[in-house]
This record gives sequence, structure tokens and C-alpha cells, in this order.
Amino acid sequence: MALETTIAGAYPKIGDTTEEQKLRRALHQFDKDEISEEDLEQVKNEVTEEVIRQQIEVGLDVVTDGLIRWSDPLTYIASKVSGFEITGLIRYFDTNTFYRQPVVESRLEFIKSILVSDYQFAQERSTKPVRAILTGPYTLAKLSRNKFYREFKQLAFDLAHIIHKEAEALQEAGCKYIQFDESAILNHKHDLNLFFQVYEIVTAQLSKAEKTLQLNFGSLEGIYPKILNLNVERIGLELTKGHKNWDVLKSAPFTKKMMAGIVDARNTKMESENDLVKAVHDLGEHISLEQTWLSTSHSLEFLPRPNARKKIELLTNVAKQLRGASVS
Amino acid sequence: MILPTTTVGSFPKPEYLTKARFQFSKGQISKTELEQLEKKATKEWIDFQEEIGIDILVDGEMYRGDMVTYFAENFKGFEISGLVRSYGNRYYRKPVAVAEIERANPVTVDWYKFAQNLTKKPVKGMLTGPYTIMDWSFDEFYPSRRDLCLRLAEVIHDEAKDLERAGAEYIQIDEPAVSVRPEELELAIEAMGIVTSGLKAYTLTHICYGDFPKIYPKMLDIPVNQIDLELSNNEFDLLDLFKKAPFTSDIGLGVLDVHSHRTETKEEVKARIQKALKMIPKEKIYVSPDCGLKTREVEEAKAKLRVMVEATKEVRETLGG
Repeated sequence: MALETTIAGAYPKIGDTTEEQKLRRALHQFDKDEISEEDLEQVKNEVTEEVIRQQIEVGLDVVTDGLIRWSDPLTYIASKVSGFEITGLIRYFDTNTFYRQPVVESRLEFIKSILVSDYQFAQERSTKPVRAILTGPYTLAKLSRNKFYREFKQLAFDLAHIIHKEAEALQEAGCKYIQFDESAILNHKHDLNLFFQVYEIVTAQLSKAEKTLQLNFGSLEGIYPKILNLNVERIGLELTKGHKNWDVLKSAPFTKKMMAGIVDARNTKMESENDLVKAVHDLGEHISLEQTWLSTSHSLEFLPRPNARKKIELLTNVAKQLRGASVS
Repeated sequence: MILPTTTVGSFPKPEYLTKARFQFSKGQISKTELEQLEKKATKEWIDFQEEIGIDILVDGEMYRGDMVTYFAENFKGFEISGLVRSYGNRYYRKPVAVAEIERANPVTVDWYKFAQNLTKKPVKGMLTGPYTIMDWSFDEFYPSRRDLCLRLAEVIHDEAKDLERAGAEYIQIDEPAVSVRPEELELAIEAMGIVTSGLKAYTLTHICYGDFPKIYPKMLDIPVNQIDLELSNNEFDLLDLFKKAPFTSDIGLGVLDVHSHRTETKEEVKARIQKALKMIPKEKIYVSPDCGLKTREVEEAKAKLRVMVEATKEVRETLGG
């Protein structure tokens, strides 16, 4: 298969119209006990269906469930693992968005599957493959506060086992693509050896689904090309105009499949289609475009929904142009 | 006087004003009607600060919604975006730079004058810094973050000059975003240099909690007379950093946790001031809350400020100030 398109993870939960803001309203009403949990769940289901429909309509080849049920990148997962308490707000990397920090109060344990029912719900409503997104164990460990484990390593390993179990369950449920978001390693590159140990646990006997390691909020400088030895099939990275990763890629051949974040999901400014086509041509000099995914650099939640939609339209137009010219 | 007391800028809006702002957004009351209530609330806060004995006053920002959007709405070249999520179910609109940023008229000067006329004590001119406005905006016009940031620095410099001309002895330029990207600290320093260039007023900047170990002591190069820091929120851990390199600017010592409903005790606040006194000469210390108080209830904010002023007075007496 030639070039394909996808998004990095989340899709904006609300838009500008009253109809598109129903999740925001429902959450307010739920907080005030005006609607039941089932009512809220119903709205989350509807919005999830809607954002899958939008992705397919625009022409993306691999979709996500938009992470509509996630209140932030940490707590949706952490609240379903025994041993975490969810606490105060903390800034998420260098963004102006915040997450509630999970605090490790006791030994972490897998209770039951975290995402399988979400995956099944989404895949039943999608004609395109749905990729499951998991916050990776290293990032979960790093962005949480550890009050229980003597060493960080023990925390990371326990989380690795938990995420491994979850990935296995997703694979069993038929999920063909599983993504691990691991931005935190880019801020702690000296931990790379530990990171490899963590991923030996995560990826053990996980061979049916294609595994993507997503590395954004920074560059791969300093861990490239070593990171290519990790047991995943695909690596996602930021490749917006002028990003340091362009230089990093010149230093060694990229031997995995790539999820190339060429569209900037943190600014409303629209890239020109021609610039992006040229960028992909440039990329073709370093990697085989044959199985490459073109994607957004980050989750689309940093953009208002109408801008997010325009960005993914741009992405699919670029792919169409390239396929038409049979670059791949 | 040693240990002058002040606040970071915003105070909670009284209920009648919150209601009026909502009515104004629905077109139910006029701009003039809203403004009258904003003035009433400003006067109440000035009176309160005088009554409890704060030394350097603020107007309380009764007329501002968000510290970045307020300036973007009043500068040319910005539009306002659709809704983006901040956290949980909280959304906000971001400024979008779509053309050259210009300042058609002074933005804060009339409010400064209004507040200053109500009191003999100095009122601070309150601005948001160029780095923070840049970092919290989308940019569809400038080629780089640096270009937008430096252009904003020029515009905010003009505003600071106008505040000074209007009589402001203290000008605060807040940069809460500065601690988030250590690799851009140089840019923030350069931009602040443009803002404060040639000002005779006492200048200060407020920085919120971030990765301070990564920007300290380099952040002391921000060209202002005082850096105001959030300290209570992190149990004063920051002070340990100052052992490695002395804090050379004046310090605005955050002694009230603005995120907590609980009113600090006088003893707690005194202990915080005394801890700082072990590290920093008394002449260099100003006492203030951690951050703006706008997210607290009116009565919570007032109770906290009373404790802050009383505790400071008692410490001052022990120092013979």
C-alpha cells in the first residue's frame, strides 16, 4: 500500500455550533447531577461516532476514536489502574494545557482492560482501521508522582507490565494498530537504556498488531539512530517545516516505517499544499515512502475544531496529489 | 520601609460584575453600564487595599477577562480563535496574529489613571509580557515565534512608556509562560529588554511555577528590578536554589497559595517570610500572594490579604523596620 494518512491521536471534542458542543454541556450537567452517567455515556458515544465519521469523510486511511472519553492524556488510563490517585493540575509539556497528576499511592495493578470496549465501539462504527492510542508506560511513570516505589525503575516496570497486558487485550480484540505515546523520553534522553528495558516488557510476544512509538514534543537528536533498535514497527515524529528532526534524519538511514507529522497541529496557520508535497519528496530521499503514514504533528486538540478539520483536509489533499504523481 | 506589601494583579470580581459581564456579552446592557460597574468594583478594591494597609496597590483588573486575550482584543492585528481545551471541560479562545501587531491607542492608561486618582499610595501599571502573549497565541502572520515576540515587545514598550508618562512609579510586566521552554529564555530576556528600555519606573515581572531549576540563575538576567515568584505553592522549595546562586534582583515573595480555599495562618506567613530572610537581604524583599487572586471568592481573597499584611507588619517590627 502506498502513502496513507492519519491523525496523531485526539480530535477536538467540541466545535463552534450548539450541536457540536453537546459534550461540553453534558459534562456540565453531569457535574451538577442533572443527568445520569448513562446519559453522559450516550453523548460520548455520539460524539465519538461523529468524529470517526468526520475523519472518514475527509479521507483519512487510519482513524482513531478521537480520544473523546479522555479528560487528559494521563488520567483516562491512570484512573483505570489500581494504585493511582488523581490529584491537581499540572502543565502538559510546553503547552498551555493541563492534566491532573496521577499519584502512585500503592502497588500498581491491572484491574481490567482499559481501552478494549472503546476500541470495539469505534471499530464497529468505522470502515477504516481504528488505531488504539495508549500513553506509554515511561511517560505515565514520568508525569506521575511516585509516593510508593523505592525506585523509579520499579514503577516504570510495573507500568510496562500493565500496558503490555492492555496491548495484548487490544490485539486479541482484533486491533491491528496500537500506538504508544512516549513524549517524556525526549526530555529525559539519558534514560534510554531504561526505556529499552521497559519496551522489552511492553512488546514481548506482541506480534499480530503493528506497534507505533509516537515521539513528539521534541526531537530525536541524541537518541537517533539508536531508537530504531526498539521492537516496534513504526515510529512517529514531528516533521513540520524547519523542525530539528529533518537534520536528525540525515545522520543515519531510517529503517522503520514512519508516521511523519508534517502538518503542524499547534498553530492555526495553514501550510501550503505545495510546500508539504515538496517536504514529502524530500522525505523520500531518506526513507521508503511505500508504507509511510502522513499525519499531524500532535493531537488535534490544540486547535479549534474547524481549524483541525482544515488541517486534515490539507493532509489528505497532499496525499492525493502525491499518489496521483505516483511518487510512492 | 522594608518588606513592602503588594499583590500580583487580579482580584476576584464581585457577583454583580460577573452578572453584568454576562449580560453585556448577551447584549442586554450597554458598554457604559458595564463600565460603571467596573469602576464601582475597582473603587471597592482600592478602598479595601487602603483599609488593610497594602503599600503598593493594583486596580484589580475588574475590566479584564483573560490576561492575554485582553491585550490581543485591544491591539490591531489579532483575531480571536474558536474554542480550544485548556483542561477537563474548560475551554478558552486564543488570540491569532493575522497581521502586523499595532497599538492604535493606549490600552491600560485610562484605567491606571482612574485607580491612581482614588488613592495617594502608588498603583502599579499592569501589563502582560511579549513572550507570554506570543506563547499563548496562534501565529498566522509572522515567520517565527521570535518575530512575533519582538514585535509585541515594541508595542508593549509603547504602552509602558505611556503608563510612565501618566505617572506610574511601578510597572509590572507579567511573564508566566517564561519558565516553560528553557531554550527560549534568551528570547524572553531580549524581549523584556525592549519593553523596559529607557523606563525610569521601577519594573517587575511575575513568573509562575515551572521548571525553575532549568532557568535559574539565568532568569536573573531578565532586565527588571524585581522578579515576583510563586513560592507557597511548592513549599518554598525554590529557596534552596538560591543557595547555589544568590538571588540578585529584588524578589516578590509569594506567601499565599492562591489555589487553595484555606486561609493561611499568620504564623505560616511569618515563617515563610523568615525563611526567605535567611537567604535574601531584607531590603530586597517585597511580600505578595503567589499569583493573581481572581479565582478565589471575594471574601477568601480578602481574608488571605489581611493575614498577609498583618504577618508582614509583625515581622517588620522584629526587624526594627
